[in-house]
Amino acid sequence: MPSMDSPNLDDVNKTVFCIPYVPRDEATGSMPKLPTSVGEDRDLDNGEELRLLAYKEAWRGCLNRMQQIIQELQNASIKAVLEEVRSSYTDILPGLPYPELPVISVINPGLGSSFLDEVSVHLESPTSSSNVQCLVAHLYPGDFPNVATGMRSIISGLMEREDMQDGGIVSSLDWRYKTKSSGIVKRKTPSSSLANYDIKFLFAWYRNRFKSSGTLISAKFTSLSHFRSGTNESSSPLLVIVLHDFEQLDPHVMQDIFYVCSGSIPALPLVFLVSMSSPASNYLNAIYSTSTVALLRVRSITVPAGNAVLQELLLKTFFDAHFEPMIMFGPAVLEFLQDYFTRYHSSTDAIITILQVAHLRHFTSDPLTLLVRDTPSADVLSKPGKYVDMDADESHPLSNVPRIIDNVNDARRAFYSRLRSLRLGFGVMICIQSFLEDGGYKGLDWSVDAKKGGLCTAMINLLKGHFTRDVKELVRYTRKLRRDELTTLSGRLHEIFSGLPPSVLSEERASLDQLARIKNSVSESGASDVPPADISASLSDWVAQYLGESLKLPEEGILWDIWYTGLAPFPSELLNPSLRASMMAGLLRPHDYVDDINANDIEPAPKEIWELPDISILFKRYLDSGKMINVYDWFESFKSVLDSQRLNVKEPASPKKRGRQKAQAPETTEDDEKWDTEVQARFIRALHELDYLGFIKHTNRKADHLLRTVFDVDDAD
Amino acid sequence: MDFLKCPVPGYENVTVEFGTLASTYPPPFIYIQDIQALRTTLNAVDAILRDISNSNASMLHRSKVYYAKADCISCFTPRLFYEAVINSLVGWEPDWEEGCSNWAADGVVGAKWNENMDMFLHGLRAAHQYLCRQSGIGISESQGQLRKTPKGKGKAKEVPEAGFDGVRFIIVVERVERLKESQPEMIVPLTRLAELARIDLSVVFVSQVGWEDVKPPLGASPDPYYIDIHAPSKEHIVQSLVSNFSSLSSSASSSPSSSLTPYHPALEPLYSHFITILCDVCFPFTHDPAELQYIAAARWPGFCKPVLDEHKKTAKNSNLHSNGDADVDMDVDDGEERDSLFDEGEPSTTSMPITTDVRMRLTRLFNPSLTQAVESLVPRLSNAADWAKANDPQPNLLSLPPGKASLGQTHGSMATPSDATRSLPRMSKFILLASYLASTNPAKSDIRIFGRGVDEKKRRRRRAVPKTSGKTKSGGPSKIPQRLLGPTAFPLDRMLAILGALLEENDVDSRMLNRQFIIPGEETDMEISRVGVFASIVELTSMRLLHRASPPDRLDGPPQFKAAISYDTALALARQLKIALNDLLWDPM
Repeated sequence: MPSMDSPNLDDVNKTVFCIPYVPRDEATGSMPKLPTSVGEDRDLDNGEELRLLAYKEAWRGCLNRMQQIIQELQNASIKAVLEEVRSSYTDILPGLPYPELPVISVINPGLGSSFLDEVSVHLESPTSSSNVQCLVAHLYPGDFPNVATGMRSIISGLMEREDMQDGGIVSSLDWRYKTKSSGIVKRKTPSSSLANYDIKFLFAWYRNRFKSSGTLISAKFTSLSHFRSGTNESSSPLLVIVLHDFEQLDPHVMQDIFYVCSGSIPALPLVFLVSMSSPASNYLNAIYSTSTVALLRVRSITVPAGNAVLQELLLKTFFDAHFEPMIMFGPAVLEFLQDYFTRYHSSTDAIITILQVAHLRHFTSDPLTLLVRDTPSADVLSKPGKYVDMDADESHPLSNVPRIIDNVNDARRAFYSRLRSLRLGFGVMICIQSFLEDGGYKGLDWSVDAKKGGLCTAMINLLKGHFTRDVKELVRYTRKLRRDELTTLSGRLHEIFSGLPPSVLSEERASLDQLARIKNSVSESGASDVPPADISASLSDWVAQYLGESLKLPEEGILWDIWYTGLAPFPSELLNPSLRASMMAGLLRPHDYVDDINANDIEPAPKEIWELPDISILFKRYLDSGKMINVYDWFESFKSVLDSQRLNVKEPASPKKRGRQKAQAPETTEDDEKWDTEVQARFIRALHELDYLGFIKHTNRKADHLLRTVFDVDDAD
Repeated sequence: MDFLKCPVPGYENVTVEFGTLASTYPPPFIYIQDIQALRTTLNAVDAILRDISNSNASMLHRSKVYYAKADCISCFTPRLFYEAVINSLVGWEPDWEEGCSNWAADGVVGAKWNENMDMFLHGLRAAHQYLCRQSGIGISESQGQLRKTPKGKGKAKEVPEAGFDGVRFIIVVERVERLKESQPEMIVPLTRLAELARIDLSVVFVSQVGWEDVKPPLGASPDPYYIDIHAPSKEHIVQSLVSNFSSLSSSASSSPSSSLTPYHPALEPLYSHFITILCDVCFPFTHDPAELQYIAAARWPGFCKPVLDEHKKTAKNSNLHSNGDADVDMDVDDGEERDSLFDEGEPSTTSMPITTDVRMRLTRLFNPSLTQAVESLVPRLSNAADWAKANDPQPNLLSLPPGKASLGQTHGSMATPSDATRSLPRMSKFILLASYLASTNPAKSDIRIFGRGVDEKKRRRRRAVPKTSGKTKSGGPSKIPQRLLGPTAFPLDRMLAILGALLEENDVDSRMLNRQFIIPGEETDMEISRVGVFASIVELTSMRLLHRASPPDRLDGPPQFKAAISYDTALALARQLKIALNDLLWDPM
């Protein structure tokens, strides 16, 4: 049916036709919906929105905390890098044969690019305590396709930077005036002046801006004596070049750039800050030639990475007395997180992604999760849900909403307090264990030290409830401690409790008092090395009693599954699916993906082959063939399936397939011809789809034959 | 050529030869080759030419010499080369205020002689005219063979003041071997520059590579005048390193905080002794004076520290004695005190109290550390400053009894391969190992090494072939193990298959429990086709631990990779994963 905008496909003058996508009527107007819960029948009317709000709040708290921890983790390294950059031209070993180009390689496999951004912010901030100013240019692998472009990027990057932060460096007013009057604009005849990828161009600019006098660079450092006196004046800034993803830069290009740059120091105080994502500390030595590395003074700074980061993040987010996460994750999620982190991707990004997905999943799975932070008012709750059948039960709980609200609030309070004491109990365990390790004892199976690892596993075991043996061990150890050890340990434990935030402290007052008593009694008990039995027992008794009371699984109260994910597994296939398996499953059982899984719980009857989409039909036949496929045979078998499809569709009028319901009229030869063309078109289309997915290899070995690429598929049907 | 003093010991012959040529009648094209110490040669050539260009006219050379240097790495485009040569010939420094314009002959605005070789020749001649005028030489006189001198002709002949007859250009082209790769079209014109420009000009190529390797084909270039620089002898290196001391000490004393620097003039005898030992130890490993000086710079502060400590102590003692009853002076600023003392004692310290005994002790103590310095400094596993800091001897080493005094463990920051790879994720380690195996083992051996039958657990390994010397039984040369030949490329599929075999045997226990899989090996099959595996492969490629051997835009067929890790790294990885690597290698070590 020709309409206004349908193209005339018979137009011989056109080689390409554009057939715009016109969505069908029922599809338009439907807004993207928030995901509904599995327990949709128990949900409130606006449950999705309420849960989204609750999710946002919970996730924001968790994310802020984690970012804060990451910030603290990288602070030490940032300080080291800053120190190194600022002192790169001040503290030079005398007697070197030629000046070396300072290169600071930041080995940063885990923390991502935020680290270098943070560094450059600190370097450029005019308020920094150091009087060394820096101009920072950020460059990426794409900026270095060849030497000329690379040099141009370096030079223009530095100049732009200076233009941007003009006021920060300019020392006097007339000076700034000069800056404005002479810019790159003045270069009227670029072809008769220095090329903009020439290092002398940068030098001329630098000398003009930051130095009153200077000589031609090449003459400057031919003799050794100039070398030391050439250190930068306090007013002239360092030129810091940050190379991101350094491993992706072409070594052939970079070695020349290093050579060129090393020829102009120290007149141009260049500093290279290269960011490595591989954990190898000797990348430059391994990839670059010795003659290049000999021009550089390489210092490496390693940013914390690996298990230590994961441990720190988990410990401080979920097992810290000073922070209360709104959602606690169960051992299954933490175990997956640990597994994924150590196995596939050891970066903080992976941790944050996984925890966010876990949050999202928690809030979409259970309708009750809208109660995480606070309970909605009675009015909201009294509204009958859209699916609740009010007549089903006379004594429906909704009839007594206020009491339920109170119950929920009580449950929340109880859950959080149980979790708090669990955290504190774990804190006490860690404290004793680290004390034992400091004293040279082995202690428990796991270690607080990140190098030995095991703390993450300990957290998971704690949540699984496997801690009784550890507690017994700790009690046994504390009973055998010497006097001075007892003093230190009780002091440390006392510190933990006295340092608690006031709200928590009020609940733990009794433990604090008792610890203070133990501490005093130890110190008063005389000077002998072996403490009296009652005193050494008092601490271990307290440990036993306290841990026994505090280490209780979060699942014990009512409604725990609102705030705790328990053993609910993490949807790992979302993050790390198996390509081959999902592609096969999609081709073999396409209806599993299309149909609503929740529509009916009973296993749907296996579909007949004619009910499948074209590509699946073709694929099933593909699996039946040998190593090589005769295309004509393939087409014939495909056609026979389509013929049966045509028959089946015609009779009961299944609405699935496109545009075939109209075929009610008695068959004519014209219809048959049309049908043949359609079959052919659909075959070619499906064939190309398979080809595109990589299932077909073209070969010239045999006419009309194709090679299979996939074998041994475990076809369940 | 007595006016030329030799800039570096050991270059006397070169100074005479090159100096004479450059100042009298230089051949148009000179080729200087130095295999060992290019940097030193470049400095020497520079110094000789500077001397010549600064010297006055004499009987022997009647031409004023101007020279320019151009480095073929720094001048990576012809334009940079032209600009570098002409600007430095005329001593022009581009100024930012002037828009960084290049030198232009008087009256010529916007001269574009950096565009191509032709314009460059014009630029050279303009520069020549300009410099002739500056030196007060009439252009036509200096260029007898010049048929047409458009500008110079009109000028009145001036009487030469400085006694020069003409102006000569010498253009030094450094590291010519790079020219062959980056701008091969430049070589022929440069070698014939004198005949092209038709001025008094000589081109000097300096390179580590011989002319026969740089030479353009078909004899397009004339043969140069060769000057070969021989490897510097040990004595010459010692001389040149010791001669650096005076300039170092003068620059050290000029800085304010130089109370007791290692480069105090009084220490010069000890320094020359030190350099002799250093060269004795290190000369077999490197002949490059720059490297040796690098090692010296790293070791010297530590070497002389015991002497300085000793001096400090005796100075303090004598100070105490002299001020025995005046306790008030005790908290005089320490540095100042020492400074004055050392200065007072200068006449005596020049004949330093460093006895032979002290020298012997120092030598014995520091000798082993010199070898370690070579090991970590020459390949630059550590830089000199860090090495010097890490190997600083303990204070007052000389006052300790000889048995106890030792340097302790020397620290070279040698990164072991296991450190480098420890923090890689577990799957990346497996991938690296699998790719190493795929790169070293022949593909046909995979089924024998990794294939497992239903009941047989033992792998069918190749029997270790007894190594025969050079020849196999059939008489052909024995096959060199792949490990020594470098990695071969392998298709991704093969690596994934090996990865699956490795995972199935070594990783099953560490996996999270998954009840979904019943058939043995099914889970491994899922594991090796996960997104995470492919993402890791790409990431390892970007870290250059894997090399992608096929172009990234080729979609047809599986991508090819190469392992980029060494045997040591692979061994370290295998140890971390608790895999016996040698059992999986076709050619075990």
